[in-house]
Amino acid sequence: MAGADKRLVDYLARRFPLEKLSFHSLVEKKEVPVHRMSWAYYLGGLAVFFFAVQLVTGLMLLFYYEPTVSDAHASVEHVTRHVAGGFLVRNLHTWTASAMILVLLAHLLTTFAMKAFAPPRELTWVSGAVLLLLVFGFGFTGYLLPWHQIAVNATKVGLQSIEQMGAYLPAALADLPGELKELIQGGPAVGQATLSRFYAIHVVVLPLVFFAVLGLHLLSVQLHGMSQGVDRATGRSEEFFPFFVLKDFSLWGVAFLVLFVVALVLPFESFFSYPLFGAFDPMGSTPDGIKPEWYFYFVYYPLELLPFWLVALLSAGATGVLFAAPWIFRRTGRRTLRILALAAALYLVVMTLFGQTLYEVFRGGGG
Amino acid sequence: MSDLPPLDLFLFAGLPYLAVALLVVVSVVRYRRDRFSYSSLSSQFLESRRLLWGSVPFHVGILVLFVGHLLPLLMPATWIQLTAHPPFLYAVEAVGVAAAVLAAVGLAVLLVRRVTSGRLQAVSSVLDVVVVGLLLAQVAVGLGVALGHRWGAAWSAGTLTPYLWSLVTLRPDVAQAAAMPPLVQLHLVGAWAIVLLLPFSRLVHLFSLPLGYLTRPYQKVVWTNPRRFERQSVAERSRAAERRHLVKGLLGAGAAGALLGVGILDKLARFLGGPDMTLDEEAALLRKRLERLEMTAEERQLQLERMRSPYIRVAGLGELSPTQGHYFTDYLMRPALAFLGDDGLPLLISAKCTHLGCTVSSQVDSEGRLLCPCHVSYFDLESGRPLPGSPAKAPLPQLGWVLRDAAGSVVASRSPSGETAGEADQASAEQLAEYDVYIARRFATGDA
Amino acid sequence: MRRMSRPATTLRLALAAALLAAAPVALAYPEFEAFVERHSGRYVNCALCHAHPDGPEGTKPGQIRSLDAEELARLNLARAAFEPGSDVDSPILNDFGDEILHRVGKRRFLEIRSTDPALLADALGTDSDLDGDGIPDATEYLEGTDPLDAQHGAPLRLLRNNLERYRFDILMIVLATACGLWGLNHLLAWAGWRFRPALRDDPPPSGGGTLP
Repeated sequence: MAGADKRLVDYLARRFPLEKLSFHSLVEKKEVPVHRMSWAYYLGGLAVFFFAVQLVTGLMLLFYYEPTVSDAHASVEHVTRHVAGGFLVRNLHTWTASAMILVLLAHLLTTFAMKAFAPPRELTWVSGAVLLLLVFGFGFTGYLLPWHQIAVNATKVGLQSIEQMGAYLPAALADLPGELKELIQGGPAVGQATLSRFYAIHVVVLPLVFFAVLGLHLLSVQLHGMSQGVDRATGRSEEFFPFFVLKDFSLWGVAFLVLFVVALVLPFESFFSYPLFGAFDPMGSTPDGIKPEWYFYFVYYPLELLPFWLVALLSAGATGVLFAAPWIFRRTGRRTLRILALAAALYLVVMTLFGQTLYEVFRGGGG
Repeated sequence: MSDLPPLDLFLFAGLPYLAVALLVVVSVVRYRRDRFSYSSLSSQFLESRRLLWGSVPFHVGILVLFVGHLLPLLMPATWIQLTAHPPFLYAVEAVGVAAAVLAAVGLAVLLVRRVTSGRLQAVSSVLDVVVVGLLLAQVAVGLGVALGHRWGAAWSAGTLTPYLWSLVTLRPDVAQAAAMPPLVQLHLVGAWAIVLLLPFSRLVHLFSLPLGYLTRPYQKVVWTNPRRFERQSVAERSRAAERRHLVKGLLGAGAAGALLGVGILDKLARFLGGPDMTLDEEAALLRKRLERLEMTAEERQLQLERMRSPYIRVAGLGELSPTQGHYFTDYLMRPALAFLGDDGLPLLISAKCTHLGCTVSSQVDSEGRLLCPCHVSYFDLESGRPLPGSPAKAPLPQLGWVLRDAAGSVVASRSPSGETAGEADQASAEQLAEYDVYIARRFATGDA
Repeated sequence: MRRMSRPATTLRLALAAALLAAAPVALAYPEFEAFVERHSGRYVNCALCHAHPDGPEGTKPGQIRSLDAEELARLNLARAAFEPGSDVDSPILNDFGDEILHRVGKRRFLEIRSTDPALLADALGTDSDLDGDGIPDATEYLEGTDPLDAQHGAPLRLLRNNLERYRFDILMIVLATACGLWGLNHLLAWAGWRFRPALRDDPPPSGGGTLP
């Protein structure tokens, strides 16, 4: 039917305004709205900058890393202890990873609160959600690579939660999660096969996919420009070139300064007990204090405190809401969105900072 | 630090931090509240002749002194090397004394001017007089230090520099400052007092360095035609502003780029250049890698064996003892112990502590207990159960075994659940001693 | 039971067996581990002093039942180091464990073990810092941090030590950032002037004056 075809074409044309791919639109006339949430416009660029830092430091670490179970730990120790500046590169990589995830979560919450996903920007939002999952994938796969006690054991614990799903599925499908887990592991247990594929995923697969999706995300941002952000636009805006860009660079400079100094003077290892960083020994003992990285706490502690099925259900629900937000909240006002974003932020902050305390208070409570 | 008099603690630790904190906070607040108060409050149009003879010598002198104080602070090692040469030291000291005299004379003129000119008194505040007086006192005391405790250019790098850096790294070395002669201490305290007063007084004009003077043209053409005059002055202002900002912008960005580039390239080059290790460290590293490789090889060997054979030999039955366990690795690659049970038959038990996985020790104590030394859990050998009070809560599982004779046929067996088969209980002690204890794959596949 | 081909090997094995049989039941010292965990609040394991994280008991490298003859000889020398001052290189101890025996001696060490493990810090003194992170080994012992890893230590102490040690680098990057920010600000101001066409040197419109 001609009508439906035309509607589809219009729909796509609105989402991909390729006529805006011109010097005039992209450079000369590009503007950023000025209002009291304008500070949030810097967060996305900051995340990209942190990603660039990760690429460079990761590449430098790659020069010395050996992805075998017998040599991985020794190679990481080697680059940290004996290579000039190696400890700096490694600490920078670790601290920037945390900083990037922090900034990304802030970016997520602020774009949500500013209703930046409103039409025609749905694709930007969905690609952003994919990017978030990819970044968590980076964190999960990268954590295993040093092959120390906390790396391997935390990965085992994390993968076990996939297998646990099998108990809640009908008999015919009950084995599937276990098989999926073995597929991810590359074998019946976390071993060399797991290390090799996590290495490939972290170093090649995820970066390529990330570039592709990021390209789509950035293209969409460039085509549509910055969203309005607030209900009552102030009418003021500043040009992207050169004002916003120069301020962006200033922020990146300060952020790099902070990260560099922190990486130089505060080794991330000092915040954990040292047995967690000893070489993984499958025949030896497991040290106390195995935990995933802090950015997984918001799902790890609920798993420890609540029944598994409840957490799985809530997580699935939350992920669904995350991806479908542009359609679910299409008619929601910004005020409500702000409240929701604050509530989500509160939950994340409380669960991350006080998850351990809550666990100790309610030790053994629930499934 | 606690045995220093509190006055010293305040003057050399408390006062510096207080002064710097106030400097930062008050300067920022003042800038935000009243930007235009960042001014030197020049009184040139009220009285210009004495100002010339006062301000110029003072500023020249004080700038030279400032640079001279800054250099030993930033490059102490180099400075100490340089001042070890007497000609350099005398030159530096001479320049310093001359600058101090110049500054003192200038300040004296300014002070007199401030107090004797009626016009100036109408616009002066107490703080203005205090500032001039304090500066004059400071320069005078400084001269006293230079002449009374020679040679300041040399010893300051060894005393002042460490003290100031100790303040920066939040570990104030008050004892060092307290050990200085009183005149030096007075000079030091005077300096902190000036820093303290800086954000409250006209000294705040230090923050607006007139670097633009370096780039402004020395000759200006001014049109009298009003139209051209207007256009020209507007255009000129904007051009001048543009130029000024561009120059400073490129200068700043360029300097930043150069510093970052050099720093990063240097680190990158050294990083890629590889490790710098002594021969001992290299040997230790190689030894560690060799050990890891051997461990991996051993592990793979054990895995291969367990994949190939349905039975793995643990030990000869005659070799087992009721109190000293024999370590072996079971089919699931876990450590395990083999004992001789009370009935003359083997007793095989997992040696992986159920608390956190340490290997339990092999020696049974007088009460029939196995100890896990990691967190002191005791396990009863017969049942595998942990004793109350142990951190471990679950029992050590028993493993199944198989007895085979010299020909390889199975004589007796016990499954992990305890069912015995075969006629081993009817054999004599000598016959038993000939048998070998094996673990069987079929028992392991049923295990957890 | 096993047949030996050479009498010397028999003798050596018998000697080793005799020595092993004479060993105390538990060779690990959980008193120290319990003390450090209580005192510091940090989790530690046997790798604080021993070569293997699970202690000296067992068959792994760094554990007693895996030692060959040469290592056994070194172990016996280490076991005999009752007075401080001897050069110890025990195969079941790491460098920190060796340092303890070297500085304290086995006799005093055993005394400390049965009276108060906290005294080990005093016995070690504060001039030993094996990993060079600026925190003395005795302090790292009391705080439950790894004395052989420069990246591990109480975070606040490491922060201060490193601020001191790397002050040149910090100064350089602060300087670079300050220069950069200053420059970027001025570039912003330049851009502000540059991209305001009204203020550029445009020729006046054809009719009328231009006085504001």
